Amino acid sequence: MSPEPLASGRPPGQRRRLLLILLQVAIGLLVLGVVALLVSNLQVNLVRRGLELSFDWLGRPARFPLPRGLLSYRTDDSYAWAFVVGFVNSLQVVVMGLVLATVLGVIGGAASFSKNWLLRQLANLYVAVARNVPPLLHLLFWYVVVFLGMPAARNGVETLAGWLRLPISVEFMALLIGLTVYTGAYISEVVRGGINSVPRGQWEAARSLGFGEGRTLRLIILPQALRAILPGLNSQYINLAKNSTLAIAVGYSDIFSIANTTFTQTGRSIEAFALLVAGFLAVDLLISGAMNVLNRLVLRHG
Amino acid sequence: MAESPRSSPRSRQLLLRIRRGLFASPLDTLITVVLAVVCGGGLWNLFHWAFLQADWAVVLSNVRLYFNGNFPVSQIWRSWSWLGLLGALCILTLMPSRLLPPVVVRLLPLLWVLILPIGLLLLASGLGLEPVKSRFWGGLQLSLLLTLGTILMSLPLGILMALARRSSLPLLRWLTTGYIELMRGMPLIAVLFFGQLMIPLFLPEGWTLNRVLRAVLSLGFFMAAYMAEDVRGGLQSIPKTQLEAARSLGLSPLLTVALVELPQALRTALPALANQCVASMQNTSLLAYLGLIELLGISRSILANPDYLGRHLEVYIWLALLYWAVCILMTSLARRLERTLKVNGHH
Repeated sequence: MSPEPLASGRPPGQRRRLLLILLQVAIGLLVLGVVALLVSNLQVNLVRRGLELSFDWLGRPARFPLPRGLLSYRTDDSYAWAFVVGFVNSLQVVVMGLVLATVLGVIGGAASFSKNWLLRQLANLYVAVARNVPPLLHLLFWYVVVFLGMPAARNGVETLAGWLRLPISVEFMALLIGLTVYTGAYISEVVRGGINSVPRGQWEAARSLGFGEGRTLRLIILPQALRAILPGLNSQYINLAKNSTLAIAVGYSDIFSIANTTFTQTGRSIEAFALLVAGFLAVDLLISGAMNVLNRLVLRHG
Repeated sequence: MAESPRSSPRSRQLLLRIRRGLFASPLDTLITVVLAVVCGGGLWNLFHWAFLQADWAVVLSNVRLYFNGNFPVSQIWRSWSWLGLLGALCILTLMPSRLLPPVVVRLLPLLWVLILPIGLLLLASGLGLEPVKSRFWGGLQLSLLLTLGTILMSLPLGILMALARRSSLPLLRWLTTGYIELMRGMPLIAVLFFGQLMIPLFLPEGWTLNRVLRAVLSLGFFMAAYMAEDVRGGLQSIPKTQLEAARSLGLSPLLTVALVELPQALRTALPALANQCVASMQNTSLLAYLGLIELLGISRSILANPDYLGRHLEVYIWLALLYWAVCILMTSLARRLERTLKVNGHH
C-alpha cells in the first residue's frame, strides 16, 4: 500500500481547514509586509531629518504660554506637563458638555411630543437646523459672533467665572456652548426615538390614572425609554468628546492643540500623534466604561 | 345665531384646534406666550439686522471665490461647467423617472460614478486643457470634490471591511475589528493631521502626493470605518432563512454574499449610509484648518481681507445656508434612491 491515496484521501473538512490557515498566514504576511515597508520608509525619512523616534524631549521645558486652566502651568514646565494640562482641559469641556447636551437633548426630545404646537415646531426646527450645519460653523458662530462681537456676552462670562470661581475663558464658553447645541440636537433625536419606543398604551394608561402631561413624561415614559436611549447616548457622548478637538478653531488649549503646537515647535509628529491617540483612547474608554455601569444599573432596576 | 359666521362649524373647529394646540392650560398659555415673545423678538432683530445693518457685499462680490476658489479666471468656465454637470445630474436623479427615457434612468448610477473622474479631468488637465495645480482648487467646488472622492472611496472599502469583520477567518476578523474600533475612537481632525503632515513620512524618498489626494485618503480611511459598521448592521438584519435558502439553491458562498446578502444589507443600511455621506460633506470643513481652501477655508481668507472687517455673521449665515442646502440635497437624493430600491425590491 502506497501512502498516496491516504494523502489525497484526507477528509474534506481537514483540507478546508488547512486552506483557511494558509490563507490567514498569507494575509498576515501581507499586512506585516506593508507595515514593515511603511516603517522602513519612516525610518529613512526620520533619519534624513534628524528626528529618530524618542520621547526624551518630553522632559524639556515647553516654552509656549497657555491660558489659565484648572491645573497651574508655567512656560518653563515640561512638554509632558503641557500634555497633562491639555488632557485635563479636554476632560473639563467634555464632562461639562456631556451634562449640558444631555439636558438640552432631553428637553428637545421631550418637547417634540408636547401638545403645544409652537413648542413642538420649535423643537423640530432646532434639530433640523443644528444638525445640517457643520460643528465648526457652530463654534465659529458662538466664538466670533457672540463672544467676540457682543461685549455683554463677554462680561457675562467674566461674571460667571467669578461666581463659580472657575477659570472659565471666552474660548472655553464658546466651545462648550457650540458643542452643547450641536450634540444636543443629536441627543434630541436619540431621546425622541427612545420615547417613540414606549408603547402608546402607557401614555393612555397614565392619562386615565389622572397624570398630567409633564408628570406622565417624567414618571412613566422617560424611565421606560431610558433603556432604548442609553446605547445611542453612548455614541453621541463619544462624538462630543471627539468634536471637542475642534477647540483649535476657537483657540482653546485642549490636548489636540497642545499636540499641534508641540509638533510645530519640535517637529515630533509621530510622538505627538501617539500621545494624542493614547489620550483619546483613554477618554473613549472612560465614557464607554461609565455608560456601561449606567446601563447595567438601568437594566437591573427595569 | 346658528347662521352667524362666528359659530360656523369650520371656524369653530379651527378655534378649538388653536385652543387645544396652544392654550390648553394656564401653563400651556404661559409657554406659548413666552415662546412667541422670544421668537418674535428674535425674528424682529434678525430682520432688522439683515436688512438695515448687515452689509452683504462680503457675500455678493465674492460669489466666484465661494464657488470656484482661486481657480484661474481665464479657465473658470471649466469649474462652472463641472458644477453645472453636477447640478444637472442632481436634477435628473430627482426628477420622476417616468418623465425620463429609460436609458437615462439606467445610466444614472454610472453617471454618478463618472462625475468624479470627469471633474478631475476638467479641473486638473487632460483633453488638451491647460493644467491647473491642485492648490488653485477651492471653494464649494473643492468641498464637493472632496465629498464625492471620500464617498466613492469609503463605500467599497467599508463594504469589504464589513464582510471581513464577519469572515470565518479569525485573523481577518481581528485585524478589521481593531482597525474599525481604533478609527471610530479617533477624532477626525487628528486623522486629517496625520494625513496632511505624516503621510509624506511614510512614502519612499522622492514620492509625493498632493494635498487634495492626501485629504481624500485620510477622509476615506476614516469614513470607511463608519460605513463598515452601518453595512454590518444591515448584514446582521438579514434573516438566517435567506442564507439557508441560498444554500439549498446551490449558490456558492461568494455568490450568496454578492446576490443575496449584500443587496439586502445595503438596502437596510441605506438611511444610515446616507447620514454618513452628509457627515462627510460637513467633515470637509475641517480641512480649512489644515491648509486647504475649501468652502470654509476660502471664507476665512475672505474675512481676513481688511475690506470686510467684522463681517463674520454675514459670511457664517451664508455658509450655513450653503452647507444646509447641500446636505438637504444629499438627503433628498438618498430618499429618492431608497424609494427606487423599495419599488424594485417588491417586484
